[in-house]
Amino acid sequence: MAAPETSTAAVPTLMTNNSLRNAFGGVLSFFILLLIGVLAFSIRLFSVIKYESVIHEFDPYFNYRVTQFLTKKGIYDFWNWFDDRTWYPLGRVIGGTVYPGLTLTAGTIWWFLNSLNIPLSVETVCVFTAPIFSAFASWATYLLTKEVKGAGAGLTAAALLAMVPSYISRSVAGSYDNEAVAIFALIFTFYLYIKTLNTGSLFYATLNSIAYFYMVCSWGGYTFIINLIPMHVLLCIVTGRYSSRLYIAYAPLVVLGTLLAALVPVVGFNAVMTSEHFASFLVFIVIHVVAFVYYIKGILSPKMFKVAVTLVVSVGLCKLICGPLYSDISACITSGIALSQAFDVFTRSIKYQLPGVSSTNELDAGETSSATAEAQNDAVKTEKTEETSKDRPSRKSKKKEKEQVEKPSTKAKAEKKRLLALPLEASVIALLLLIMLGAFYVVHCVWAAAEAYSAPSIVLTSHSHDGLHVFDDFREAYGWLRHNTDVDDKVASWWDYGYQTTAMANRTVIVDNNTWNNTHIATVGTAMSSPEKAAWEIFHSLDVKYVLVVFGGLVGYPSDDINKFLWMVRIGGGVFPHIKEPDYLRDGQYRIDSQATSTMLNCLMYKLSYYRFVETDGKGFDRVRRTEIGKKYFKLTHFEEVFTTHHWMVRIYKLKLPKNRIRGKTKKSKSKTSSKRSGITKKNPWH
Amino acid sequence: MGKSSSSKDAQALFHSLRSAYAATPVNLKIIDLYVGFAVFTALIQVVYMAIVGSFPFNSFLSGVLSCVGTAVLAVCLRIQVNKENKEFKDIAPERAFADFVLCNLVLHLVIMNFLG
Amino acid sequence: MGKLWVIFVALISILLPFLCNSFSPETPTDRRVLVLLDDFAIKSSHSLYFNSLKSRGFELDFKLADDPNIALQRYGQYLYDALILFCPSVERFGGSVDLAGILSFVDSGHDLIIAADANASDLIREVATECGVDFDEDPSAMVIDHTSYAVSETEGDHTLIAGDGFIKSDVILGSKKINAPVLFKGIGHSLNPANNLVLKVLSASPAAYSANPKSKLSTPPSLTGSAISLVSVVQARNNARILITGSISMFSNRFFRSGVQKAGSPTKHEKSGNEQFSTEISKWVFHERGHLKAVNVKHHKVGETEEPALYRINDDLEYSVEIYEWSGTSWEPYVADDVQVQFYMMSPYVLKTLSNNKKGLYSTSFKVPDVYGVFQFKVEYQKLGYTSLSLSKQIPVRPYRHNEYERFIPAAYPYYGAAFSMMAGFFIFSFVHLYSK
Repeated sequence: MAAPETSTAAVPTLMTNNSLRNAFGGVLSFFILLLIGVLAFSIRLFSVIKYESVIHEFDPYFNYRVTQFLTKKGIYDFWNWFDDRTWYPLGRVIGGTVYPGLTLTAGTIWWFLNSLNIPLSVETVCVFTAPIFSAFASWATYLLTKEVKGAGAGLTAAALLAMVPSYISRSVAGSYDNEAVAIFALIFTFYLYIKTLNTGSLFYATLNSIAYFYMVCSWGGYTFIINLIPMHVLLCIVTGRYSSRLYIAYAPLVVLGTLLAALVPVVGFNAVMTSEHFASFLVFIVIHVVAFVYYIKGILSPKMFKVAVTLVVSVGLCKLICGPLYSDISACITSGIALSQAFDVFTRSIKYQLPGVSSTNELDAGETSSATAEAQNDAVKTEKTEETSKDRPSRKSKKKEKEQVEKPSTKAKAEKKRLLALPLEASVIALLLLIMLGAFYVVHCVWAAAEAYSAPSIVLTSHSHDGLHVFDDFREAYGWLRHNTDVDDKVASWWDYGYQTTAMANRTVIVDNNTWNNTHIATVGTAMSSPEKAAWEIFHSLDVKYVLVVFGGLVGYPSDDINKFLWMVRIGGGVFPHIKEPDYLRDGQYRIDSQATSTMLNCLMYKLSYYRFVETDGKGFDRVRRTEIGKKYFKLTHFEEVFTTHHWMVRIYKLKLPKNRIRGKTKKSKSKTSSKRSGITKKNPWH
Repeated sequence: MGKSSSSKDAQALFHSLRSAYAATPVNLKIIDLYVGFAVFTALIQVVYMAIVGSFPFNSFLSGVLSCVGTAVLAVCLRIQVNKENKEFKDIAPERAFADFVLCNLVLHLVIMNFLG
Repeated sequence: MGKLWVIFVALISILLPFLCNSFSPETPTDRRVLVLLDDFAIKSSHSLYFNSLKSRGFELDFKLADDPNIALQRYGQYLYDALILFCPSVERFGGSVDLAGILSFVDSGHDLIIAADANASDLIREVATECGVDFDEDPSAMVIDHTSYAVSETEGDHTLIAGDGFIKSDVILGSKKINAPVLFKGIGHSLNPANNLVLKVLSASPAAYSANPKSKLSTPPSLTGSAISLVSVVQARNNARILITGSISMFSNRFFRSGVQKAGSPTKHEKSGNEQFSTEISKWVFHERGHLKAVNVKHHKVGETEEPALYRINDDLEYSVEIYEWSGTSWEPYVADDVQVQFYMMSPYVLKTLSNNKKGLYSTSFKVPDVYGVFQFKVEYQKLGYTSLSLSKQIPVRPYRHNEYERFIPAAYPYYGAAFSMMAGFFIFSFVHLYSK
């Protein structure tokens, strides 16, 4: 019901006038919502405008690859997909380790559009899924807030959410990650929960469970719902707001929700076995106990109820003292009863202090619960004393009722008075300040979306005196791999680049961003930290053909492999004890200049990063570490360089084949003047 | 205190419970019977699992949860159909039953899927 | 005229394939051999050996080692299939031949025979080192053996050795046993024990040592005993074969014809074993014996014939490969009972010996293990004297699909019953609820 917040001074006499205003308000809010949706969509498009419609970061590339597979092969093959092009040679069962919601959503959108003969490519659909769902999320926020407060608050909340920078950061166009659809599912699930709680209809409870299922499919953060809702239920019980609508809102959700969560292969039996779900089961038991207690209270006379309570409590206390075996169950029961009793009285006072609580619904609830409050007060009093004076409590409760009825009407009067009593200048200034605050908020959000969160991180830019400089080295390297290597060749790199390599270069990788197997990552880390021969042995045993390293020293790109090297050493050393971190440190620091340790200067990562680096400027000055490198002239014995990108950001090396002949031990004689061996007589600067 | 007084109280409690329950309408009693049947089936399955072991755990879960879910939904229906419950006087019992049927359909669909 | 032209063209096109009968995988035996000599006297003093080669069909091209026209390859094509270096004292090769050229010749799959002697040059020693054997560094050292020398009237410094420390391999030395010892006079070499590509074919006796026969020993010799190898072979990873020996006179007519009596042994052999030894070992070096090829690797599920793209765990599959051995003239089925196949993923999950049907087809069947991943069918066959076979075929193994499990599990019947009874109960209850007052 969209009630516009106009003044209630002119009470309409004609019904049509009121309904006309209502209809006008409805149309206005519809268009406002539409605009909010457009706003949410457009504010996330900065990266598409500034760069191009490309998928960002690392994880979205994996999701994009999975979506491609789904659109090509269909849902049954996707469900059973065993990916043999990653985590070589272990492979990865995609069907059982991925949250399918995002993929299925984008796949459905693509299929639907294609069946309408709108031939959008899978990449376009993936890039724009997040902005579309952010529009949906803002509409869901409107619904949620409208359910709690009213339509005006709903519109404000929707507008705020559409622009809030933290949400933008995870749902910008191109950020094709789980949160893109999961935030929408989260808000929508909460909206349906509140709606069920307000209406008490099983229909909304069913919808709530289905929305929860969608949330479980989409994101590991579904545990947020399955813990927050039980907490809310518990809080309601503890503060005395238990009603049967609460039971209808919560109990079917737990049963259906657990079943639906167990249906998703990633979650599976974790839905009943991990600690994240135990809160929901505990509260499920508590709410049943509380419901049972209220039912008994409803059918018994107050005197008998008091008798029942004392009996149960004494039995429970006895068992608590006597046997620890029964203490859990009896503790539950007694605590359920005691809690609801004690806090009921305590919070009656809190209840009618809160504004807006006393709506028409609550009046009814107040009536019924005041009847029970009668009995409760009775029980409390009889526990303390042996009197059964019913007159005093009934008078007290009647007084409370009267007070409640009086309160809303006086409040409305006071509000009316207040509206007319504020001075005009103060309200104008307040409004102006509010508008300025809103304007600053909008400016900040737009700035954050444009500057902070729209970098695709696969394409880098820098502004120099001669204009914009674009660094597209990553895609250059992956394109080279795609076109210049065999389909079955294996590429080894640090795990950050795994998803991008499989998606863009379409080559088998050893480790990727899923990081599920620490030993495998440690093997690659050890190989990167070992000298050339040992590294070659490790890579050869994994059938690796190419090694890829990222090097930022020429252009000053700070997230390169040398800066990540300490993790390679630590992870490798964690599994293979012959890699010891102190071997690579000089005075507790990782250095690559002339003061570096010899282990560092001989390890594969150093050699592959700085091979021929001295050719660029003659001195080998690393712009990230801001020093000249330690070992400048050296040759590679077991690897050969096959590709270096334009700005030296990605370097690809090939493993040399094992030598055909094994050389004898006699040292090569260097004093021959008449031999035709080239380079021996000249002084060789290359070591 | 005294055990005798508590036992007398217990007897009195028991009688009053029985008489209060006898006063409930017939359709609610049918729902209660239905709930009892579901809970009883769930208990049988738990005992069976304790004896045999939990090997097809998904079947066990779906069997037990179908019983628990049926019981919960029936209790929800009972709450909504109960004429004494003033909260729900503006929801027609037909609407309550329709919601109940819908929820049960979804529940059984999911159960069939999860049963294996 | 036109008819003649057609006949000419037809003849050419028919004969052309036969004109290109060089080394090829189909006929692995070498055909054209370049022989580099110090001087042409060696051609006549070693004529028996060269004639034996020619009689087996080799085309020998004799050139002086410093001939300015020699070339191993022209325009990227190799002109010869094998190289014999009977030029121990060459300092520098002529033409376009050099150390790097010889090594790349070997690395491209061609064979090599190197014979040195007491005045071996640094270049020949270098070639030998690159191939994996180390001649004694002392340039004037020779192998001396005071217990296994050949009894003779002329030579008294015991540098003429009667060697019979043969390697036990029928493939390398032929099935017929060499009864007479082999006469050897020259320098010895040692092998790196870590090198698994070299083999000692004729090793010196435990009493031999390598020293200068003319001067007195001041320090103990560095090379002694069985560590000294008189004749070695190297089989490189690409199956190129190299023969290295320190005595060029081992191939000479004089040694072929002379009788031999080993010191301390009563038997005097009429003919030394040199001719038989040289012939047999040349056969091995030039791939007339011990050359295997593996073709037709096939695998499929039991009961099917075509190769699947991937297997499932617990599948039954069959693997087969055909191995043939070159007999010098044709491919014969290779018969052995120690060829094994591994189903390998970082370690072999299944290791089975292939059974053969005596016609060269090796096959076996096994069950895919219960582990999913990317496996390889690996055949690593390295038998002494034979070419190494290294076959590897990658195949992924997937886990069960969602509908490949047992459909109905008997232990779960109570749960099925409970679920269905719940449905029935709901159905009945809804009727009762609707139609009761």
